[in-house]
Parts: sequence; structure tokens; C-alpha cells
Amino acid sequence: MFFNNLKQLHGTVYINDIWCKGCGFCVQFCPTNVLDISPEFNAKGYHPPYAKNPEKCHDCQYCQMICPEFSIFVTKDDEIAKGEAEK
Amino acid sequence: MTKKRTGVFVCHCGNNIAATVDVARVVKEMSAEETVVYSQDYVYMCSDPGQNAVIQAIKDNQLDSVVVSCCSPSLHEKTFRDNTTRAGISGFTCEIANIREQCAWVHKDRDVGTEKAIKISRSAVRRAGRNQSLEPIAVPVTRRVMVIGGGIAGIQASLDMANAGLEVILVERQATLGGHMLQLSETFPTLDCSQCILSPKMVEVSRHPKIKVMTYCEVQEVSGSVGNFKAKILKKPTFVDPEKCNICDDCTQVCPVVVPNEYELGLTARRAIYIPYAQAIPASYTLDEEACLGLNPIRCGKCKDACEADAINYDMRPETVVEEVGAIVVATGFDLYPQENIAEYGYGKVEDVLDGLQFERLCSASGATSGHVLRPSDHKVPKDVVFIQCVGSRDPAQHCAYCSKICCMYTAKHATLYKHHVPDGRAYVFYIDIRSGGKGYEEFVQRTMEEDGAIYLRGRVSKLYRHNGKVKVLGTDTLTGQNVEIDADMVVLALAMQPSKGTAQAAKVLKIGRDKDGFLAEAHPKLRPVESVTAGIFLAGAAQGPKDIPETVAQAGAAAAKVIALLSQATLSHAPTVARVRRSHCTGCEMCVTACPYHAIRLENGKAVVNEVLCEGCGSCTATCLRAAIEVKNATQMQVFEMIEACLA
Ligand SMILES: Cc1cc2nc3c(=O)[nH]c(=O)nc-3n(C[C@H](O)[C@H](O)[C@H](O)COP(=O)(O)OP(=O)(O)OC[C@H]3O[C@@H](n4cnc5c(N)ncnc54)[C@H](O)[C@@H]3O)c2cc1C
Ligand code: SF4
Ligand code: SF4
Ligand code: SF4
Ligand code: SF4
Repeated sequence: MFFNNLKQLHGTVYINDIWCKGCGFCVQFCPTNVLDISPEFNAKGYHPPYAKNPEKCHDCQYCQMICPEFSIFVTKDDEIAKGEAEK
Repeated sequence: MTKKRTGVFVCHCGNNIAATVDVARVVKEMSAEETVVYSQDYVYMCSDPGQNAVIQAIKDNQLDSVVVSCCSPSLHEKTFRDNTTRAGISGFTCEIANIREQCAWVHKDRDVGTEKAIKISRSAVRRAGRNQSLEPIAVPVTRRVMVIGGGIAGIQASLDMANAGLEVILVERQATLGGHMLQLSETFPTLDCSQCILSPKMVEVSRHPKIKVMTYCEVQEVSGSVGNFKAKILKKPTFVDPEKCNICDDCTQVCPVVVPNEYELGLTARRAIYIPYAQAIPASYTLDEEACLGLNPIRCGKCKDACEADAINYDMRPETVVEEVGAIVVATGFDLYPQENIAEYGYGKVEDVLDGLQFERLCSASGATSGHVLRPSDHKVPKDVVFIQCVGSRDPAQHCAYCSKICCMYTAKHATLYKHHVPDGRAYVFYIDIRSGGKGYEEFVQRTMEEDGAIYLRGRVSKLYRHNGKVKVLGTDTLTGQNVEIDADMVVLALAMQPSKGTAQAAKVLKIGRDKDGFLAEAHPKLRPVESVTAGIFLAGAAQGPKDIPETVAQAGAAAAKVIALLSQATLSHAPTVARVRRSHCTGCEMCVTACPYHAIRLENGKAVVNEVLCEGCGSCTATCLRAAIEVKNATQMQVFEMIEACLA
């Protein structure tokens, strides 16, 4: 759409249900509202998050930093990152 | 009180007054007034003999007060007050009775006109009867100037004033100086590259020892008056230290965010951290707080990690600075009339329908397409381009009633530039009529038609819409009476110029007037075109009315000259007709303190005290005070009552 072909960078969130204690920090603090609380229960009986709008993740890694249980992390999507070049 | 000795001087103003007012009768009636010891009429009181007659009469008759019945005080009050001063009595004992604008010009019947002229004159005589001899108040001046708006107008005014030795503070709300001129490709009528002629000036401003450039800043509050303004300026955080940033561009390589680039009018995208143009001044990146995901070292933070110069600081906060200046130049420029308002051309939603500034960016070597004219939808070279003039202008029913003045010229320029870029393309221009007054302008339009072969069609486009990957343009050629239908690859609208949003904001902060279209109002449309009604505030550029660059530069120079003249005086004189408090009556209720629009009153030991330098003598305080404890000198309540009485008698 844009003449300079700049692309949005994307990330993918990975959630390790088993460690999650359902505090909801990641859901609350994600700046682009990627996450929401899942209706499912995990083995501990908590509601873990799930990626409701995965396309909105821009790899800011905030959830990864604030999760007290180390149960969520993000990776940068490589193929799109490559397409970012302006030239 | 000893009885006053007033002289009354009634002017014929040729036939302007004498045709509707029996001047001799006014003189006769006035001589019957108790305080009047001398009265006369004269054909032109403001002429040299007329003025000398006033001076002579004051001396010969030991007059201590004067009434001149003539035109509006905005024209000759100064003349006659100067004369009374020259004759040896205070200028503030002289009153003007306006019997021209407020009487002769609005009446036809001579009897009615004469009656009214007598009442107006009599009320002035009564007022003069209680006037005190006052001397002007001397006010020290701050020899610094604030310029609001860093477009070509603000840049030129700043340079002119700084070169004359004044200290200048140039406040620009965007991240770079330059305004709209920085977006243009080539400029009519000589087709010189806009950035090439502008950027040397921008560099000069930024290096000038007398100019302090404040970009990404906004003026929030201004108090004080001519000679001594105090401005509160908000510095918005850029989150990048311009001293450290070495424009390496590493940050944008890692920033994940993409938003439309407003400096390229949405033709390209930018990151949340960006530099508006390569030539931006200051040469530094800016972090867009709204688009950024982070602004917090543990959130995102990619740019800060990448920045080797350590220029990025997420802890920057808005700052307010206060600057004291003696004068202000407002050069806040224009915006284009919004395409979303134009129903017949698809509310700005039809693809490949651009505005003039977007087309400038397409032609510009530093623009979105590196100077290749391509259409946005498929990035192909457009072969049929329709230019439509007067979009939003000259349409009092729906849009703006005024002519935007520059669109005829920039459309001709666009057609020429297009033909230079795409020699085998066809350029169609729809126009109502061509207004090309200006040096070399008409010749330029003729060249566009004859040498560059643009097809000029006189008429309006009634409708346009997307059709088979093109834009279908339906219009009429009023010269042949034929309907015209063009399958265009691209359409460029010459949208009206309107005052910028920042102009409205600045006008509000400065409390200066705007005209019916929102442009800044000048003090007099012919004689004071660069001054606002408020003393010490001057106007320059497209904020005052549609203008091209040469006119903008000329007006900026004129505003600068006015400021230089104003601030070359050691002190300014302030009218002594200011409020005075009768301490015995004042209860310290503070009603006047809140009523005063100039913040001139404060409470000291439980009584109101007036700062005479700030007081403009507006009388708001008098009107609110329940105990008549505060009054404006030479416009006391007693004087006002007597004037009303004289008018009703
Ligand atoms: C499509 C197009 C093509 C044109 N082509 C030509 C041409 O070829 N030749 C020619 O002579 N003229 C041309 N012009 C006209 C030219 O652009 C203007 O004459 C000129 O830009 C006016 O300059 P300015 O400084 O008054 O306003 P602007 O360029 O609008 O600058 C105003 C500046 O003030 C800033 N500002 C606004 N409000 C505030 C605020 N409250 N506080 C702080 N800063 C504020 C703005 O951010 C801006 O930087 C063209 C205009 C258009 C639209
Ligand atoms: S922050 Fe961690 S623990 Fe808390 S809900 Fe999110 S994934 Fe679960
Ligand atoms: S912190 Fe903001 S500006 Fe910096 S890289 Fe992340 S989104 Fe972009
Ligand atoms: S990485 Fe740092 S130095 Fe380089 S452009 Fe960005 S802010 Fe400036
Ligand atoms: S006349 Fe009264 S209200 Fe008006 S400026 Fe002076 S002190 Fe303020």
C-alpha cells in the first residue's frame, strides 16, 4: 500500500499453560491487546491466556518480561522481518 | 473645581460631514455649553491649517480641554492629541466626537443628522469637562521576539529580526522547521527546487547566534502586553537527545511499528521512531509517543538497545519554559481543506484521487517515489491525469466562499511537471477561470497550455468514481457545451487553503481576532496589513490569508520591520487612562481581580491594586465593582452618566 514498502514487524507468542497461575498480567499489559483469558482450565485449575489477536503481536516482549511464572515468551517472525527492507 | 475652558472644533470633512450635518448649527449649540469658551468649524480640521487653528486657539484662549467633532478616533485621535500636547496642555484632555462614521454616513436626513451630531458633540464636551491632565506612562521594553510557526514566513521573519540584532525565539509545533514549503517539489513560476532554496535558510536559522529554535513545542499561555509579554511554552518530549543523535537510522531498522507518514501525506509509512525528512532541522530523530509500544525499558525497548549513541531516553517528560518577549509574530500557516468534506469527489475515499500536496511529494526527488510520478494503487505511471481547480474554493453554498489564490498557479505547475515527467501522458485541467496575476505568472500558464500541451477545459467536474481500475471523471466543457468523460489514471484536486489548526490554537492563546473564514484578522485591511488589533502582535504568511511564497516572504519582512521599529525604542508609552482604586471604598472582595481580562489587579493588604502597565483601561472592573471603588481615569462613572444624560436630553 505504501510506496516505501515498510512492513510491520510481527512476533509469535508461545504460552506454557502448565506453569501459568492465571494472574492475567500479560493480558492486562499487552499494549496491542493480543491476549485474552482463556475459558479453559490448566492442570492447576487456573485460566491461562490465549492469543486472541495473534496478528497484532509486534514482538515488544512485555508479557515475557512481566510474567512472574516465566510461562509466556515471544519470538520475532523471521520471514516478515526480512521483507522490511526499504530499498 | 475651577470651571473648565473647553474649545470645540467641528470638521466638515469636505462634504462627508457637511452634506448631512449643519456644521454651523453644531458650532452654535456647542458655544452655548457652560464650559465652552471657544468654538469654530473648518472644512478639513485634519489639514495643516486646521491643525494650526486648533493650536492657535488653545494658546489664544487659554483652553484647558478640547473636543474635535470629526471622524472616528481610530483615525485622527492621535493627530489632535499631539496637537494639544504641542499647544502645551495634556493630550488626554482632548476628546473626539465621532460625527462622521457614527452620524453623517449613516443618516440621509439633514435634520436628524444635525440633531445627532449635536448630541454626540455635547456628550464629548461633558466628558472633556471632567478630564484630568494625564501624562503617558513609560514602559520598559524587552528586546526579544517570539515567532510562532516555523514555515517560510516564520523563518524569514526570524532571520530579518535576528540580523537586526534582536533575540528571537522561534516556536514550531512539528518535529522540523520548514512548514509546507519543505513538502513542495518545484515552485512556480521559475520552477526552482523548493527544498534547495529553503534548506539554506533553515540552516542559517539553526546556526544563528541570536535565534533559539524550539521545535516540537507549543505556546500554551501568553500574558502581559506590548513590550512585555510572558509566554509559557510547552516542550513536548521527543525521547531522543538531539545533541547525541547522529542520524544513523539504526533505530528504525529495529522498530516494529508502522504508521502512515504524515510528512509524506500518507504516501509512505514510517516507524514509531522517525525523522520527518533527510533535511529536517533539528537533525534528530523523534519518537512518536502514541505509536510506540514501549517507552519503558522492559517493554519493547528495541530502539534503545540499537542506539549506539545512547541518544534515546524514555524518561523524557514534557517541560514548560517561560520566555519574556517584547513582541510576537504569528506565522502559523495553512492546511488544505479536508478532502473528506467533498461529497461529489468521493469524500477522499476514491483511490488515486490525490490532493495537491500529495502530488508535490510524488514529483519531489526526495519524496515517496524518489521523483517518479506513479499512481498509489498499482505503482504504475499514470497516462491520463485530470487536475481539478477550485475544489472547495469559491463555493459559498457548501465550502469556502473565498478564492484560494494560489491554486491556478500550482495546478499549472503540476500539469507542467507532470508533462516533464511523463512526456507522452495527457494532462487535463478543469478550471472556472484562470487567475494568474503576478510577475511571470500569466506567461507561465500560457507555456503550460502551449508548450507543455496541457488540455485546459473550462468547466466543473460533477462527479468522479472508480470504474474498471480507473477513475471515471464526468464534467462539462462550458466553452463547447459538450459533456466530457475521461477515464483517468489519476486525479489531482486543488483543494482550498484554509487557516491551519495551529492558527486557531494560537489565536485563542493570544486572544487575537480571526476573520469570518478563520484567517488571522489584520488591524486594518489596507493600512495595517501585518498588525493584529492587539499592539505588539504581528502577522505573517498564509495564516493571515491565502498566499504564495513571494508574498509570504514579503509579508514576513514587513512584520519583521514593524517589530524592529517597535523594539528600537528605549521605552514604550502606555496610555495613562488606566483604572484607579479608591482605597477607602474598596472592601477587598476581589470581584475586579477575577473580572480583569489582563490580570492587572491584585490584592495588597486587603485592597485592590492596579498594575498600570498591564491595565488596558477596558473598564471591566468598574462594571463589576459593587461599591464604585475602581474607575478608569478620564472615563469615570460620573463622566459616563453625564454623557448619557447629554445624549438623552
Ligand atoms: C499544493 C501546493 C503547491 C504550492 N506551490 C507553490 C509554488 O510553487 N510557489 C509558491 O510561491 N507557493 C506555493 N504554494 C504556497 C506555499 O506553500 C505557501 O505560500 C507557504 O508555504 C506559506 O508559508 P507559511 O510559513 O505562511 O505557512 P506554512 O508553510 O503552513 O508554515 C506554518 C508553520 O507553522 C507551524 N504551526 C502552525 N500552528 C502552530 C502553532 N500553534 N504553534 C507552533 N507552530 C505552528 C506549522 O507546523 C508550520 O510549520 C503551494 C501550496 C500548495 C498547497
Ligand atoms: S503473566 Fe504469566 S502467569 Fe500471568 S497470566 Fe500471563 S502467562 Fe499466566
Ligand atoms: S520502543 Fe517504541 S520506538 Fe522504540 S523500537 Fe519499540 S516501538 Fe519502536
Ligand atoms: S539509533 Fe540513536 S543515534 Fe541512531 S538515529 Fe536512532 S536515535 Fe539517533
Ligand atoms: S480597566 Fe480594570 S479590568 Fe480593564 S484592564 Fe484595567 S484594571 Fe483590568
